Amino acid sequence: MTAYVIRRLLQGIFVVFIVSFVTFFIIQAGPGDPIEQMLGEGAQQMTQEDLDRVRAKWGLDDPWYEQYWSWLSNLAKGDMGISIVRVGQPVSDMIFSAAGPTVRLNIIALIVAVLVAIPAGMIAALRRYTAIDSSIMVTASGGVALPNFWVALMLIVLFTGTLGWLPATGFTSWKHYLMPVTVLAITEFAILARLTRGTMLEVLNQDYMNTARSKGLSERVVILRHAVRNAMLPIITVVGYRSAFLLSGTVVIETIFAIPGLGRLFYQSVTRSDYQVVQGIVLSFTLLVVFMNIITDLLYAVIDPRIRLK
Amino acid sequence: MSRAEKILELLPFSAATTRREFLKRSVVVGAMIPASGALLAACGGDDDDDDDTPANTPAAQPTRAGVPTNAAGGQSTPEAEETEEADEEESPEATEASGAEPTEAATEPAGSGGDGEPKQGGTVIMMGHHEIASLSPDDDGPTVHWVMTTAIHNALVELDSYFVLQPVLCESWEVSDDGMQYTFKLREGVKFHDGEDFTSEDVKYTFEFYGNPENASISASNFRSIAFPIETPDDYTVVINLETVDATFLAFAGQQQIVPEHHHSAVGETGYKSNPIGTGPFMVADYDPASFCELHAFEDHFRGRPYLDVLRENIVPEASVRTISLESGEADHSVWSLLTEDNIKLRDSGNFTTFVTSSLAVNHFPINNERPYFADKAVRQAMMHAIDRDQIVNELWQGLAVKATANMSPALAFYYEPDVKQYEYDPELAAQILDEAGWVVGSDGVREKDGVKLSFTCLVITGDQARRPEAEVVQQWMLDVNIDMKIEEAPSTSQAMAAGDGDMALYNWTYGGGSGEPDPSNTLRSDALNNFSHYKSAEMDELLDRGLTTTDPDERKEIYSQVQKLVAEDVPFLFIKFWDWFTFFNPRIKGLPENPLTTQFYNEAHKWWVDDQA
Repeated sequence: MTAYVIRRLLQGIFVVFIVSFVTFFIIQAGPGDPIEQMLGEGAQQMTQEDLDRVRAKWGLDDPWYEQYWSWLSNLAKGDMGISIVRVGQPVSDMIFSAAGPTVRLNIIALIVAVLVAIPAGMIAALRRYTAIDSSIMVTASGGVALPNFWVALMLIVLFTGTLGWLPATGFTSWKHYLMPVTVLAITEFAILARLTRGTMLEVLNQDYMNTARSKGLSERVVILRHAVRNAMLPIITVVGYRSAFLLSGTVVIETIFAIPGLGRLFYQSVTRSDYQVVQGIVLSFTLLVVFMNIITDLLYAVIDPRIRLK
Repeated sequence: MSRAEKILELLPFSAATTRREFLKRSVVVGAMIPASGALLAACGGDDDDDDDTPANTPAAQPTRAGVPTNAAGGQSTPEAEETEEADEEESPEATEASGAEPTEAATEPAGSGGDGEPKQGGTVIMMGHHEIASLSPDDDGPTVHWVMTTAIHNALVELDSYFVLQPVLCESWEVSDDGMQYTFKLREGVKFHDGEDFTSEDVKYTFEFYGNPENASISASNFRSIAFPIETPDDYTVVINLETVDATFLAFAGQQQIVPEHHHSAVGETGYKSNPIGTGPFMVADYDPASFCELHAFEDHFRGRPYLDVLRENIVPEASVRTISLESGEADHSVWSLLTEDNIKLRDSGNFTTFVTSSLAVNHFPINNERPYFADKAVRQAMMHAIDRDQIVNELWQGLAVKATANMSPALAFYYEPDVKQYEYDPELAAQILDEAGWVVGSDGVREKDGVKLSFTCLVITGDQARRPEAEVVQQWMLDVNIDMKIEEAPSTSQAMAAGDGDMALYNWTYGGGSGEPDPSNTLRSDALNNFSHYKSAEMDELLDRGLTTTDPDERKEIYSQVQKLVAEDVPFLFIKFWDWFTFFNPRIKGLPENPLTTQFYNEAHKWWVDDQA
């Protein structure tokens, strides 16, 4: 078990290293650099000499492998570097302050989705092929099919534009959470509700359900104690796995609703080639995904004793 | 109050000649309103990328530009204004003279300046499209930054909304006869936000800090002609000697926002970026680079406390959300453009104070003059005749642009020269010119001369949905005169052109006009950094050098008129049109200028006030 965890961690570090290298390479290969963003109209007057001096100041004239090496060696010392666009601000500070809104938004959205989707999926399974089942599944299919940016804009058009009930932008009061949480939760609801229905149907067909009923247990106990409990296993796994993915879904949502979160910071930094920030965020996300995967694998073993970790 | 009186009130410092100019110009701008255009969301339907691609930067950005630098030396007197007033009541002559059709828009004030008595108090919320990464004057290139830094700081001279430099932190300035020495008489009694007095030492410090190559500041080039050190004979006099005569000195160095020596030297440039202290009408109250910057009124501002209590900029990246926020009243103004269809919708709704101004960047096809086919001037001229620019403006752009006559935008009215060689759409003439120049149609239907085929590739920015159709119609017109033009997409076209790797491309760029300076040395000089067309003309270089070393505005006007005539004659690039720039304000915001030539008038936010009855 301990050896397994250590091996997984070492693999994780390797993955993080590869991901950071590839990200760095892609940014370097792309057009543009962070200085261009800051120039704006200043570029009109700028001479090549002055431009070179600014690039040199930020180490942008060094060859790419030197830039990567200096980033990596600073990282080893626990320093994620500084932003070039948001001049001089430490990347770790930027990520830390942007993580707050993103984490809050995602946790709330995930809780809302779980609380709605699991009961809905179970009801659909228990009342299968009825009108209730169909309407829940049609809603869920819609949630998967509709692009979230479109849903977000439609909500803004309705609740801000037409009705004037909710503010479209910002992230200060509870009113600001309603629309972004709804949009994020719709997609998660769709995935979780369909999964719950599927696993429930599978469990309901198992022999041990008949055994439980034949023991004379009431239908309520059969469902809650035997069916739901067994059906929860894959659902918990997927919820854990989705929570890492949810973060990536917020890139679009945070941009539309003007939420100062990680997703938007990432998007902005990519478009401006602010590579230290991009590297920092990719690193954080990769660590999170690797960590969540290890936790999920360990949970398998804990929940299901038949699985052995080698 | 008559309109003329209102205008006079809005132009307190202008020289008399300037006001006459202004009336003429306002008619020109007015005439453009019906034919005015929006900035089409260029990249993949998402305008947010616009300013991030180098090729788009100057294009999309209406510069806070300026002009006849020496024209308005602050010599204007109240008497002069009185005597001029009579001719300004009605200006049909001006209308005729400018050759522009009088239109409804020209007679109806676009702004709401001077409506009623200004009231104290209120909040104005503006929207920018990307984060406010810095509040330092050194990083004020992006408009989203500039709207804040210019409200926090002041410069010695600042451009007003009619492209005229006005004295702000100085009372007057003098230029020595040889143009080598500038003496500024500073305004007394000006305080920084922390209560310290503004003196000549702050000017000296600011110029010497940002002009010092060791500090590698972005604005360093603005101070390139200064012979340091700067002299400060007393607290309110600054004497700046130049190494060479520099006609752009006032427009660039003069507009440097002044930072306080005592504070900036203590916190350093990096610390200053989030903690600025200026002399401006507003001071920083709350600032989060990722989401907003809130400014509060500075009680002791030297021009009096501003009317507004709060001036705030929120970051709203998505263009359509900015539109909805304007419609719902959640915000009052967007400093960055909306989507084209939203521009038209908001303009037609009549619910907003709407300004339409011409972009300073020309929408053009740079063509590599070093390619054997483009080296022939006849080919370049024939191509201009082969392109139906009216159709591009009226059909592709829905009339929301003005046809270019050369490199200069008509927004820069003082320097704009309409009387240049014209290129009517005439494919037969184009074919004839090509025939006469020896470019004959080959067996494959493509013209050739001495074994060189008239065949080339035009680069279009990847995903540029706005401009790609333009390249496609031009391709068709080229085919009509037996020229073979291919289209290829590339992520960064301006870099390829600058490096000489492309034959031709399509994007917008400023060829003179930034900061109101007509000088296009950076794009048209033989050795220029951004000479995308690799145009080499000794005549042009000579004109540009003269333009930079001539300080008399009328002489400069003549020189830049020659520059435009030469561009029209030589066709270094195919000049197509100038896009229009739309700016909307909630009508409750008052004190805005009337018929401005540039919408970059955020340095006048101290004149704004809020009328909640409106």
